[in-house]
Parts: sequence; structure tokens; C-alpha cells
Amino acid sequence: MSTPISRAVFLKVLAGCGVAAVAGKLALDAPYLKGSREKIRCRMLGPSSKIGHRLRAPAGEVKISGTATTKVTIIGGGIAGLSAAWWLKKHGIDDFLVLELEKEVGGNSSSGKNEYGAFPWGAHYVPIANGESTYVRQLFEELKIIQSYNAAGEPIYDELMLCHEPQDRLYKDGSFHEGLIPKRGLQANEAEEIARFLELMSTFRLATGSDGKLAFTIPLDFSSQDAKFTALDHISMSQWLKDNNFKSKPLLWYVNYCCRDDYGSSTDNVSAWAGIHYFAGRRGTAANSEPNAVLTWPQGNGYLVEKLKGPLQSKIRNSLMATAVKQREGKIVTNCLHSDDDTYTAIESDFVIVAAPRYVAGHIVENQGTHEPDHAQMAKLNYAPWMVANIVLKQLPDARGLAQAWDNVSYYSDSLGYVVSNHQEISTRQKPTVITYYFPLSQMQPKESRQKLFTATKEEWSKIVIEDLRSMHPGIESDIFSIDFWPWGHGLIRPSVGFIWGETRKQMKEARGNIFFAHSDMSGMSNFEEAQYHGVEAAKMVLEKLES
Amino acid sequence: MTYALLITAFVISTCGLIYELIAGTIASYLLGDSITQFSTVIGVYLFSMGIGSFLSKYVEKNIAFTFVQVELLVGLIGGCSATLLFLLFNQIDNFRILLYSLVAIIGILIGLEIPLLMRILQDRLDFKDLVSQVFTFDYVGALLASLLFPLVLVPYLGLIRTSFLFGLFNLGVAVWTIHLFRNELPYKNTLKSTAYLLIFALVCGFAFADKLMGIAEAATFQDPVIYSTSTPYQRIVLTGNSKDLRLFLNGNLQFSSRDEYRYHEALVHPAMASINAPKDILVLGGGDGLAVRELLKYPSVQTITLVDLDKEMTVLFKNQGMLTRLNQNSLNNSKVKVIINDAFIWLRTIPEKFDLAIIDFPDPSNYSLGKLYSDTFYKTLKNVLKPDGMVVVQSTSPFYAKNSFWCVDQTLRSVGFNTTPYHAYVPAFGDWGYVIGSLAPFKPASQTAYPAGLRYVSADTLPPMLSFAKDMLPTVSSVNKLNNQSLVHLFESEWGEYVDAH
Repeated sequence: MSTPISRAVFLKVLAGCGVAAVAGKLALDAPYLKGSREKIRCRMLGPSSKIGHRLRAPAGEVKISGTATTKVTIIGGGIAGLSAAWWLKKHGIDDFLVLELEKEVGGNSSSGKNEYGAFPWGAHYVPIANGESTYVRQLFEELKIIQSYNAAGEPIYDELMLCHEPQDRLYKDGSFHEGLIPKRGLQANEAEEIARFLELMSTFRLATGSDGKLAFTIPLDFSSQDAKFTALDHISMSQWLKDNNFKSKPLLWYVNYCCRDDYGSSTDNVSAWAGIHYFAGRRGTAANSEPNAVLTWPQGNGYLVEKLKGPLQSKIRNSLMATAVKQREGKIVTNCLHSDDDTYTAIESDFVIVAAPRYVAGHIVENQGTHEPDHAQMAKLNYAPWMVANIVLKQLPDARGLAQAWDNVSYYSDSLGYVVSNHQEISTRQKPTVITYYFPLSQMQPKESRQKLFTATKEEWSKIVIEDLRSMHPGIESDIFSIDFWPWGHGLIRPSVGFIWGETRKQMKEARGNIFFAHSDMSGMSNFEEAQYHGVEAAKMVLEKLES
Repeated sequence: MTYALLITAFVISTCGLIYELIAGTIASYLLGDSITQFSTVIGVYLFSMGIGSFLSKYVEKNIAFTFVQVELLVGLIGGCSATLLFLLFNQIDNFRILLYSLVAIIGILIGLEIPLLMRILQDRLDFKDLVSQVFTFDYVGALLASLLFPLVLVPYLGLIRTSFLFGLFNLGVAVWTIHLFRNELPYKNTLKSTAYLLIFALVCGFAFADKLMGIAEAATFQDPVIYSTSTPYQRIVLTGNSKDLRLFLNGNLQFSSRDEYRYHEALVHPAMASINAPKDILVLGGGDGLAVRELLKYPSVQTITLVDLDKEMTVLFKNQGMLTRLNQNSLNNSKVKVIINDAFIWLRTIPEKFDLAIIDFPDPSNYSLGKLYSDTFYKTLKNVLKPDGMVVVQSTSPFYAKNSFWCVDQTLRSVGFNTTPYHAYVPAFGDWGYVIGSLAPFKPASQTAYPAGLRYVSADTLPPMLSFAKDMLPTVSSVNKLNNQSLVHLFESEWGEYVDAH
């Protein structure tokens, strides 16, 4: 009755054990076993890309059912438009209207709210202001974000708004460590390279050109025009890193992360000037914080939107899309479509500030003389598509090495990680919380990624997001109540090689008669300071013309 | 049948090693020193297996019958081993006797398994194949167990569930063997029903493992638990015997009725007695009403506003007889107004001004509590004080966490308070610290200002409370701000030296 066991059988048994172990682990990892039997509620929200896309189809002659007149028409209620309005009102001009396509103003600084608190849908912080960022300082003083100045002239910020400790943490090699610069498990040469890079950035931060101006400023239009620095705009950030012998993976990861974070684009597609600006542009100091601290609020920059919006309530027209801007006999006529009832109104004004993204401006503003909208310019602009998700969690996920920070990033992820929206709260209550998850589609070409952004279903997106979060926080899916998605087709403009100091951007800033433009696109960088700068500059030009 | 039995060898060896690992892990958890625990557990276990092997020769007939019985026993004892160890840890005087007895019993039973199995198989295989195959499966099972245990079982199932699960596997082997030898086994039906009964019991254990863990945790209190409840914010547990009533929040001792008067007299009276006819008092935290009890000893007091986050806590101390006796029904006094809110948020909204604010928050052990010790918080607090107002802050232990203590002092000074740090010895806590922050310089009260009947604080005992020995002086200095949370960092590192990483 002998049945000896052959080697083959033995190996099969061994292999069987291996498979059993792996299968066991996978099975236990599967969400359905982790107590998340109730389905996670997902919603796809987002800007009205459908309404927006109607611009592409030429409307032909439209039937105007109403007219209005005002002195200044501001098209777009994002930071640029609201800042233009803020400046006009501050200087005694009251006769203006702000037209906003969406139901709420805010643009890239939009925010949302639910029973657990407020959260951002886009921009979520502003660094403390540089000396040269005078408009930012002026606004901050007005809003009491800067409360006063100390004897040395350094601003004292409202500490409820300075990002509370701990600010950021990075998930690497199995747990989190403090800060976003990789620290754990570095080889000596890798650590040395990171130090050399940061040192070099400090040099750039203080560098001035032959014209006596700082090399990298905020707003960037104040930067030195010394070719020594502007030449950096002709090569990509990755090229610059290579040229300067930066090769180690942790450093390249970090620089790439920063470019994806601020420009939605990898170092290959960002000019070296822009890449360095991220590190060298911020020089803000404060009496009561570390240099380069950031200001943040539960609703992100939605806080600033609310404050700007406050005094402008009667001037804002929501759900109103400008479809055409034409110069007629010294006046400017703006046709706009009410997205609620599909009727058109023509608004006649002396001045128009087009504070919409420039790819939109290209569609609606007639070229002088030709009466044709300027599509050509628009085609050159390169925007990064993004997905933002707000996730309601029963509780903050397991700390894994370091308590929850405001900004939580994984070394291994294509996403930018997440910010905890109630980080700035002063409540000690434990309650469900909202985290805001950012995913720039920086891997593909913009057009393909936009396709992916809008064709993938919310179920597919939630799978991507949960998978990603699970790699940082195993089992997190059982704590998720709901996920809301907000796809940004044209999220941020990309400062691609040659854009910032090239011809296109120069042309973008030129006014057309009494039509002025204001948008962060005109800086090639999408951030609060640039948007506000162009808004205020446009308002100033209007004021100048009014005075003369 | 031969294969079936060889697979049995594989399963039982996996189970056997898992029990050994469970015992080693629990011993390390509960007793610490994992090298000693693992080493002794493995030693006792292997030695017991030797005893089991030795004993196997005394089984002469009905080997399959004995084998099934052994499996049933291993299933029961091994399956319940983790639960037994956790539950009995606090109940018995010598945990090691329980631990090694359990390990020995399981070891003996496991030691019996393989010899018995080999004898069952001896008629079916040549000796060399028998030895080679049984041990092959035995050792492969051991490998699987040693991989599964740390990677899958402990992280996903936990120790209690793992032990029940593998108990079930042993019982499965028993049922399987009963089936294989259905024609030769005596008492077949009795064995079968015993097996099913045990399977049912272990499945229940597996399903209610969380409850069992809860019971095991409750057993960590010294005295009988007389009341416990979970609120959205914390777990409140009251324990008591005839002489001592203790309150635990999330397992941390808040007071012992034997010496809480020391803590609360020291918290309230040095500041309170120094104020000329104090009228309006604010208490933040302190939902137990014990600080309020001390405040009510001053007839000049007109209003006491108590702000606490946890409604359950104040309801408990308003209504529970044993507790209202302790706080002398202070929370039901008509001068006392209880507000349920976040202190920081509430402070920013009120117009009232106070003579004294008593801050009795939990220690700054996490970032959200750290915010209640920040300069921004103290600035907010300053705005609700009368011109000569004062605050007093419970500031953790200047002995165990001296830099944390002095950080509170410096943070108060940074926003413009004159500070008077002091400390008191509270046996249940150790040497405990407080800081008075006053808008005018602090002048200690004369004895006549203190209410009658105090047992600890007096004009004579105050001066030594104000003096600090050399070992309580700070070595670093920092202001706790929302954007540096330096107090939480200090507190973590200082208490970390005294408290287990629990």
C-alpha cells in the first residue's frame, strides 16, 4: 500500500502553500471583508464643462431678450475677477458687474461645505507674502490676516490661519516622517545631493540680476530680465537638473513632486525658470512664524473668496456666461447666456475686464477689425487636468509613525496626497472629517488625460482613489462615508518651456482698446498671488483711463 | 486515505506552531522582554512535545480514537488559549504559572499527535516513506504558520480570532478523522456531537472576539468597575471600593477620592484667595464639578460658568449619588451654569468678563489638545478677563515633564501674563504643577482670605509650593504656538520616558 510522494508532489505542495498564503492575504485585503459592506456614496460634481463647451459651437446670431448697462463689465468671478472688483470698489468705482458662469464665484478657489465642515475644491493655501507682493499684503491687512507689524517691520499674522503644526508628512518605507523632503533610508550621496540642491535654491532666492532686480519674485513680472536667469526658461526643469548633475532618485522625486503640486506637470514639461521659481520665489517672513510658512483655512482659498465676495454681493451675477465681447461705436457689448433659462442679455459698458481663463477669452473676444474670435492664441496654452476628491471619513486614518499632518503625501503615489480640511479647527471634538485628495493627470498629454478625466466613471475614479489611499492607510475604505469628485478639465496652466518669457505671454497681456485681460494664465502659473496681481493691474488700467 | 492523513499532519503542525507563536506573542505583550518570553515559551513547548511523544507509547489500542480525542482537546484548549491568557492576566497572581501550564498542556497534546498519526499510517507506507512524508508535511506546515502569523493573522485577525480559527482547524481534523475511520471508531456519535458542540463554541468565540477583548480590557482596573459608558469623546469608567472612588477617562486616572482634595484645593485656592471678593468665575474642563465645589466655598462668588465638551460627564456628576456626594452637589448649585461646548470656540464668542478662569484640561498629549495650551488660546482667554483678572492652568507634572511645565509658564508670559508657577504633591499623580497667570502681579493671600476647612492649602503651605527644586527646572525654553505645537513635542518625549508605549 505504499504511495511514496514524488518530488513533484512535494514541490506542488510547497507551491500550494505559497499560493494559499498570497491568496489569504489578498482575500483579507479585499474591501468586502473589511467591514465596508455598505457601499460608499460617490458623486461626480464639477464645473459646468457642458455649458462651457457651448462656446465651441458658433452660436450664430442669438436672440437678445434683455439689455443692461454698466461702466465696467468683469467677466469671471475667480480670484482675478474678484480682485479687480475689490480694487475698483476700493477706489470709488461702484458701477460694475461681475459675471460668473457657475452658481458660485471662486473659480479655482471654489470650496464646498457639508455637515462636518468646509473643504476646498481647488487652491487651498497662500504662502505668507513677500515684500514685493504689495497687493497681497494690502488685502491681508484689510482682512486682518496680517494683524499688525512688529518693530522690525515684520508682519504679525493671525495664528489661527498660519498652518498649524504638524504641517506635512511623507509616507516612505512603511511609515510617515516629518516634512515632504525624503529623509528616511537615504544614501550619503542622496542626502548630500538634496542638501546641495536646497543650498542652490537659497542662492537663487537671494540672487539679483544686472538690472538690480531680484531674480525670482512674486508676482513674477517683477523678476529680473537678466538673460542669465531668463535663459532658464529655454530648458526644462529635468534638463536643468541633469545639467547640474542632480541624479539621485529621492531628490528627483521631490522636485518632480513640487512641479506636479504647483503646475500639475512633471519636470519634463516645466521650464527650469518656473521649476526654480517654486523654490526661490517665496521669501515671506513673519514675526510669528518660520519663513515661508503658509496660510490655510478649512475651505482653502475659498476663505479669501468669501471675504472678497462679501462686499460685492449686489454686483455679482451668477449662472451667466459671456458668449461674445464686441467693440461697437466706442462701447463694448457683452452677450451673455443665462444657463438657467437659456436666454441672452446684452450688457453694454465702457470697459470690460476679461477675467476668465484665456482659452475662454480666445473664444469670446472679437479680434479688432476682423470681428473674429482669436482662437490661434488659445491653442498655444497648455493646461493640466486634475481630479479633486473630497472624502468624508468616519475618523482620521491610523497615524502610522507620525500624527496626522495638514498635508499628507506618499512617496509611491501618482497623486499629490491629501490635505485634512479640519486641521485648522480649534475644536477638540472627535467627529467625521473631510480630506481633500488631489490627483493631477500629469503623466499623459493634456488632451488624452482630459479624455480620461471625463470618460472614467465615478466608480472607476473611486477605485483609483481608494487603492491609492489604501497604500498609505490599509483598511481606510471601511472608514469612508462618501467621496465627491470634481474634475478640472483645464485645472492649472502649465509653465512649459519658453512660455513665461516668450512672445505668447507678452501678447496675452496686451489690452484691446477698452478690453483688458486679467487671469493667472497670463503669468503661466496658477496661484492666488498671480491671479490677484493681474486682476488689480486690469482694474488700475481702467482707473487710469477713467481719470484721463 | 493516506493523502488525507498526510494533509492532516500538515494542518496539525500549522496549528501547533500557531499556538506556540500566540503564547509567545501574548507573553511579550503582557510581560515585556520578548526575547525571554519567546525563548522560554518555545523551550517549554518543545519539551512538552517530548513528553507527549514519550506518552504516546502508552496508547496501545484504538489509536485513531485517541487521536480524535487529542484533536478535540487541542482544538478546545489551543482555540481558547489567547482569550484565556488575556482574560486571566489580571485575575491571577502568578500569570507565568498559567502561561507555562497552558503551553505545556498544548505541547504535550501536540507531541502526541505526530507519533499517533505515524502509527495510524504505519500499515500503509514503508518506514522510510512514512518518516519522510510525515515530517515533510509537518515542516511545511511549520513554514506556512510562521509566514501567515506575522503577515496575515496578527494584522488582520488579531490574536484572539487567530487562536479560535486554528482551534477550529484542529476540530476540523477531528471531524475529518472521525469520517475516515467511521467504520472502526467506538463511541463515534459521542465524538461527533462533542466535535460539533466545540465547533459551535469556537465559532461563537470567533464572532464575539471584540466583546471578549472588551472584557479583557475592563479587567485591567484594580477595583471593581461600578460604572462605565462611552461618549462620543471618551470612555468614562468609575471604579470603587469602600474607601476609594476613581475616575478614568480613556483609561487615564483623573482622580482618586482619597486625595483629589489636594489636587483641587491646589488648583483653586492660591489664586482664588488672592483675589479681593471674586464674583465671576470661569471653569474650562473640570466637568466633575470638584473645582466648582472648592469655588463655592467663597461667599462672594456670584456666578460660576463651567464649559465642558462632554455632556455625559456633567450629567453623570449632576445625578449620580456617589459622585454628587463627592462634589457636594456643586453642579446643581444655582450659581453654576454648565455650558457644553468647545472651550476655544466658545471663548471667542462671549461678551462676559471673569475674575478668574480655571483651566483644567487634559494633559497636552495630542495636537488637538495642544491647541488649548497655545499662545493664541491664552490671548483669547485674556480677552475675557476683568482688568485685574487671573487664570490658573493645570500644567502637568514639573517632575516627570519639567520642560512641558515650564513651556506652559513661558507661553502664558509671552502673551503678557505675570506668572506664578507652583506645585503640589498629589499621591495618585505624583508631584503636580499649576501656573497662575495674572494681569497684575500676584500677591499670596493671608490666612484669613482662605475659606475654613481646607485640608491642604493654607498661607503656611503656599511658600513651599512656590519653590522648585533643581531637578524641576527647565533645560529648554519655548513658547507653544499653533504652528509649532512645541508643548506636545515636549510632553511626548518627556512622558515617553516614564510611560510604556501603550
